[in-house]
Amino acid sequence: MGLPHIANLCSHLQNASKARLGLTSAPHTKYNLSVLLSLQKAGFLSFVTRGGALPPDPATLSTYEPEPLTSANVARQRLWVGLKYSDNAPVLRKMSAVSTPKRPITMKLPDLERVARGWDTNGRVNVRGLNMGECLFVSTSKGVMEVREAVERKMGGLVLCRAGP
Amino acid sequence: MSVARPARCLLSKRFAAALKPATPTCNAAFHSSARVEARKKQRFQSIRAEEMGLTSSEKVQKFTEENFQPYTPEEIEVLKKHYSPEQMEALQAGEAAIDPKDLTIQGRLRRDPYAIPYLDDFSRLAPTVDRRPKKHSSPDFTKIRWLSENEFVNDIQRFAKETDAPQAKAWMEGKLNDPTLSEEQKEWVKGQLAKVTAQADRAKALEGKQGDAEGLDLLFERSMLNDDNAPSDTALAPSLGKDIPGISGIYQNPIDPEDQGLDDEGIYQDLKRRTGLSVREMLDLTVKILVVRMVHNQTRLGKIRSVWVLAIAGNGNGRLGIGEAKSVENGAAVQKAKLLAIRNMKPVPRYEDRTIFGSVTTKFGGTIVKLDARPPGFGLRASARFFEMFRACGIHDIAAKMPRSRNPMNSVKACFEALTNQKDPNEIAIGRGKKLVDVRKVYFGGNVL
Repeated sequence: MGLPHIANLCSHLQNASKARLGLTSAPHTKYNLSVLLSLQKAGFLSFVTRGGALPPDPATLSTYEPEPLTSANVARQRLWVGLKYSDNAPVLRKMSAVSTPKRPITMKLPDLERVARGWDTNGRVNVRGLNMGECLFVSTSKGVMEVREAVERKMGGLVLCRAGP
Repeated sequence: MSVARPARCLLSKRFAAALKPATPTCNAAFHSSARVEARKKQRFQSIRAEEMGLTSSEKVQKFTEENFQPYTPEEIEVLKKHYSPEQMEALQAGEAAIDPKDLTIQGRLRRDPYAIPYLDDFSRLAPTVDRRPKKHSSPDFTKIRWLSENEFVNDIQRFAKETDAPQAKAWMEGKLNDPTLSEEQKEWVKGQLAKVTAQADRAKALEGKQGDAEGLDLLFERSMLNDDNAPSDTALAPSLGKDIPGISGIYQNPIDPEDQGLDDEGIYQDLKRRTGLSVREMLDLTVKILVVRMVHNQTRLGKIRSVWVLAIAGNGNGRLGIGEAKSVENGAAVQKAKLLAIRNMKPVPRYEDRTIFGSVTTKFGGTIVKLDARPPGFGLRASARFFEMFRACGIHDIAAKMPRSRNPMNSVKACFEALTNQKDPNEIAIGRGKKLVDVRKVYFGGNVL
């Protein structure tokens, strides 16, 4: 199951940005990869790439090609991500899991619309509305996407995590 | 070539002392396993310098010749351009006095990356390192005495002569423009002119008083400078004397005419300098006392009661400050707190000059303050102290909550922190690489309340 990994990823990224790290790594799983890619799409991360135990060389990052994935090396693969800082402060300051393995939270479109507008949900689930600069990531049937994109595509799904400045 | 090479022996010795490796101070074993140094096996057997032949006299001689060569005649020629003959003599004497072999054996050359690029530069004084040279020797205090009657008269006469200085000054200024004078002579005239100008200035202070009774009045005016503690009819100390030559005109009246008489007590003068605000602007600020507490210091002689005051100051247009002060006197504490509040004024980011950006939560002690942006016309729904703070900084629509402790002091401080530490949406957008558009300014042609 991916949800424990998502919770770990959230804590790890938050800790790494508190420690002002330039780049860090996460376990190479499909769920992690899709969350990290949508984080990068939202502008929280500078890059996401697959790599081995050692990070890719930052000097040649733009032309970096990860080694082909084989059954021999797949267990050693990690996802390397670059953290962003602006004005001496981390861009990604807070990140927390919404769904937990014990209680996965799924939301339908009306609830997502409320949250995306900044209002709290009312009813079955209790999710706070988004504040300024915050993002909520939803796992839908079309993959992991940001809540605003999910609302645009009129899809609900499993609410994974929220990230913000 | 280092200009200051003669000094190398002095400093190289000092470096040698400073670079000694620090001996480990703690020898106690904190764990049972062997120390790292003990466990680690040396890769090479240590060999003494003597066994390698490094300390043989030939090697020492070779190193000395390589590193500490005497000045070549060309270098001496260059040095002569920079130094006076006396300095050159001292330089060469210093060179002769130091045996280069001593440098090899006792000195240490720094070749590490952190070495200072010079040995020492005596041509300049380093203000933190060097002692400042005394310009004058101290006077002989055993010989100090008051002037006798005759000497006093002579002194006055000499002083009177100095008042002819304006004429001498004019003559010298004329001489400076004289093309027949050589450069050296002009230099000398310039030096004299500076002296005479100082005299002329002194004379100017006495203008109109010299030579008549007024001038003598000035000289014999009774003041603290000349009365020598003579008995007098009044219990008041004699005045310091008016128009003292050399002093009059230097000190200004502390009351600034720019203040238009608003600050005759000089309360706002320091703030004026710190903040750049005029007294009028400071008086126009909204300054309020929000919290007053009686505090006690229990001493062995009893309680000392003081008043602790927290004040806020705002300009109604996006600036807010808080100041806290304590004093035995209520009035003093209030004034101090108000001035500090003005001094601590900080910008408060406001959305559309009426509310805050998004929701802000701050924790201060046990107090949590939650502020929420609200639409136009919502008003200020907040506790009384917060209401005053929002009004002072020009926020018109906001909702505030204190879910936990409502301590007056902490709540005001938390609210101030929340207001001043809001996140800037432009900063967030720049950090995320996004373009930020305020749709309220796009819809309805930007015609929103």
